[in-house]
Amino acid sequence: MFKLNLKIALRNLWKYKGYTAINVFGLSIGLASCILIFIFVRYQTSFDQDYANGDRIYRVVSFWKYPDGNEFFSQGVPQPLPAAVRNDFSQFEKVAAIQQSGGIIKVRALPGKAEIKKSEQVFYAEPSFFEIFDYKWLAGNPNQSLIAPNTVVLSEKAANNYFGDWRKAIGNTINFDNQTDFKVTGVVKDNPQNSSFALEIIFSYASFSTKYSKNWGSVSSSSECYVLLKKGIQVSDLTKPLQQFLNKYENDKDAPGKVGHIFQPLKGIHHSDDFGNFAEKYMPYKQIIGLVIIGLFLLLTACINFINLATAQAISRSKEVGVRKVMGSRRKQLVWQFLSETALITFIALLLACVLSELTLPKMENLFGGDVSFSLFGHPIIFVFLLGLLVVVSFLAGLYPALVMSGFSPALAIKNKVAANAGGIGLRKTLVVIQFAITAILIIGTLVVIKQMSFIRNKSLGFDTQAISLVSLPQDSLSQLKYNGFKERLGAVKGVKSISFCSAAPSANSNNETSFTYNSSKSADFQANVKVVDEAYFKTFGLQFIAGRPLSKSDTIKEFVVNETLIKKLNVKDPNEVIGKIMKIWGGTGPIVGVVKDFNNYSLHEKIAPIAIFSRKTRYTSVAIKLDVAEMGNTMKQVESTFNTLFPDFVYENNFFDENLKGFYETEQIMGTLFKVFASVVIFISFIGLFGLISFVATQRTKEIAIRKVLGASNLELIKMLNSSFLWMVLIANMVAWPVAYIFVKNWLAGFEYRIDLSIWPFVFAMIISMSITIITVTLRSYRAAKANTIDALKYE
Amino acid sequence: MIELKNIEKYYANKGVKSYILRHVTTSIKQGEFVSIMGPSGAGKSTLLNILGMLEEPTYGEYHFMGEDVTAMKERQRIELYRNHIGFVFQAYHLIDEMTVAENIEAPLLYKKIPGAERKSRIADILDRFNMVAKKDLFPNQLSGGQQQLVGIARALVAQPSIILADEPTGNLQSAQAEQIMDLFKKLNQEENITILQVTHSEKNAQYGNRILTIEDGVIKEDVTVK
Repeated sequence: MFKLNLKIALRNLWKYKGYTAINVFGLSIGLASCILIFIFVRYQTSFDQDYANGDRIYRVVSFWKYPDGNEFFSQGVPQPLPAAVRNDFSQFEKVAAIQQSGGIIKVRALPGKAEIKKSEQVFYAEPSFFEIFDYKWLAGNPNQSLIAPNTVVLSEKAANNYFGDWRKAIGNTINFDNQTDFKVTGVVKDNPQNSSFALEIIFSYASFSTKYSKNWGSVSSSSECYVLLKKGIQVSDLTKPLQQFLNKYENDKDAPGKVGHIFQPLKGIHHSDDFGNFAEKYMPYKQIIGLVIIGLFLLLTACINFINLATAQAISRSKEVGVRKVMGSRRKQLVWQFLSETALITFIALLLACVLSELTLPKMENLFGGDVSFSLFGHPIIFVFLLGLLVVVSFLAGLYPALVMSGFSPALAIKNKVAANAGGIGLRKTLVVIQFAITAILIIGTLVVIKQMSFIRNKSLGFDTQAISLVSLPQDSLSQLKYNGFKERLGAVKGVKSISFCSAAPSANSNNETSFTYNSSKSADFQANVKVVDEAYFKTFGLQFIAGRPLSKSDTIKEFVVNETLIKKLNVKDPNEVIGKIMKIWGGTGPIVGVVKDFNNYSLHEKIAPIAIFSRKTRYTSVAIKLDVAEMGNTMKQVESTFNTLFPDFVYENNFFDENLKGFYETEQIMGTLFKVFASVVIFISFIGLFGLISFVATQRTKEIAIRKVLGASNLELIKMLNSSFLWMVLIANMVAWPVAYIFVKNWLAGFEYRIDLSIWPFVFAMIISMSITIITVTLRSYRAAKANTIDALKYE
Repeated sequence: MIELKNIEKYYANKGVKSYILRHVTTSIKQGEFVSIMGPSGAGKSTLLNILGMLEEPTYGEYHFMGEDVTAMKERQRIELYRNHIGFVFQAYHLIDEMTVAENIEAPLLYKKIPGAERKSRIADILDRFNMVAKKDLFPNQLSGGQQQLVGIARALVAQPSIILADEPTGNLQSAQAEQIMDLFKKLNQEENITILQVTHSEKNAQYGNRILTIEDGVIKEDVTVK
């Protein structure tokens, strides 16, 4: 029976090749998109899942509440905190401090291997870190390898890199920052791609220079602390001890902000909006949910297509239903027969979808800059998903048509008297309206995303971003002596317009906030974002003054420049009023000499912070070079060689400023692209469906059309008649879509502090697009119907 | 075999009842060959549909092989289809996507007859109808008469006790029609299969041994053919 049904199904599919192609193609595109979304979501939700004690691992993070309502979050903790936590909390099995840092790694030349000199990210970790996280150790173990000072554990990859083979690494040394030699005492397996820890070089915590720091007042995002809860302890049990802990150590009455800590579960790290992580990969749940919703939309539109086409086609199968029924087929058997036909189509579509997604996977990897590899069959869960997809789609798409078709009365079916609207024309219309509503929502969403992204790209940030290169500076005292010489030599390079030493560009990932006093001995009730720069900074980045003048040349704190937001927060109306007032930051005192126009110091997601700008030679981390666009390539080569002659022990690193800025919106870029792609897929599927439906309607109304023609209707009138019902549906769909899209889009835009005004145009435009595509599709198809020979249609009866 | 008592069928439309059948009472015995005749719209087809349980009477009693059809559940009715009733249609109603052999096989599948027996029965009947060479053709590759032969073969292969035929020769030319009617007669006489046909043709009606004439939903005549 099954075999025969399968054969019949295939023959039927072949007989209605056009419909089958539409069905299979629409479905497979939808399914392929779903598969891609699934692979993406699986990857994003798989972060940090593979540790044995994962459920009990928490990260201690910090936040500050300010009197003005602002909140500030940091993934770091004060450096003395881990030791204090270990001492005061009985609820933790293990506590581990881990410190992120960076510097020059040097590995001596080995036989057959050149010397290695590289700027690398390094970590100082307590042995307990590896008791909390069960890394696989290829050599050594946490309790021996990371105890003594000046020992280092390498990842397999790093060890292979430095010594050719990790087996040769043990006992060898690597040099850090031209100062200390570290002995390799252990090798651990590499972190997987889906890890929030990019640990390659791990020094023993005992080697960390400020390991005994007692400074509770300063928090760096580089100092993280992890705890392993004892079995049976809940995070909620920690509220009271944490309060006592805060009172004991961190009740600084003078600090402007009130500090607090949160125990953040390990599995939340990758999805956290407020806190970063070492691997700098994160994906908020909001975005994942957004994608899943798009996936469901896709699936729904594809299924609606299927239902529409299948019910439309049902009439042609009615005779078969009738005959089968009088031969003794039960309704249940017919339902299964039709369902298995749907399953067959779905299966074919799924195979095609696998091919399509395999083809697009490299594109998706590119989207992530190639640091992720996706594979269709790398994870067994994919098979479960595919199987689930097959079952769900078969039922979702097949059940209704199967119930309709199997429900035909045999007496009517045999006489071909099943009413043409047997499939419930009302239902079919509703489905089309839903489909178009989804399409319209996505069109609107895509338009708004595109607009906002171009707004971000083109918005003036208040400073120059083009043709500025940032070169990292070595910061040891010996190198600092060479800064002036470096500057002179750079100034002589052709194509360099201006040079500035600074701690950070106007807008940067690395930010430093600190308390200050203004015109009094008391700290202001908010903190200022500080930028430590030399006198050329303002010219290099094109910052504009609204009062006063730039800093004059100085190697120490002597004068201050502030931004508009800072004086607004101080409740000063006239910028000229602050000129000459005395400020004190980091123990340095001096007058304010200038006020700069506000510029965006964070990404456009966030508000502009109050900023204080001053000079202090010892804090410069990079040199910003404004270049002549015409000679950029040449100039940069010379800059590099100058750097290498002056600082031979260091590694030349250079970034273009505008590239850095793009990095702020990486998530948006990725999501924006995915959004655009999947929206076009939905639009495409919907219109395929529309075409199928109008073809069917046209065929069905052939006789009506013929009669109308005999009665004297013109082709144009007939096309108008066929168009109007569809246009109404599209209109209603748009009306449904507008409020829904408005809510979605409004929410998305709310994530940007600087955003476009939501106008009516994307909505109107969505309607125009959907309407015109409808008209084109329907007219194309109905023209053929209207032109058809009248006699052919009326002959048969 | 079939007992009809006071069968009525009407459609109520805005309170007005339009009758299709009125007070139809009759019985048909095993082995009879009955022709139902009458003008268009008299209710012949409706009566046949009721007999074939494709439609339900509005009122009245219907016993098939001693069982009350009106009280039957869907499941029991389907069992009757599988084991006792074979249908032959004016428009043949072969399944277009199935070959001749597959069309004939279909009812056997529903009867859950094992594969080997299915094969032999199909081979048998194809042989009997001289259609072995055509077994892999599709219906649209056959002439009308051949299609109707397949239709009858399909009805017969499940070995029913009664065949219900709605104008089985209505779409056929006279030579082919004669062939079909001869076949019916032979089946009736040699295999004692009850046959009930609706027909317009006086000539075809003569093949049977009893004629029911219906006019305006009422049985006007019930004559036995000599």
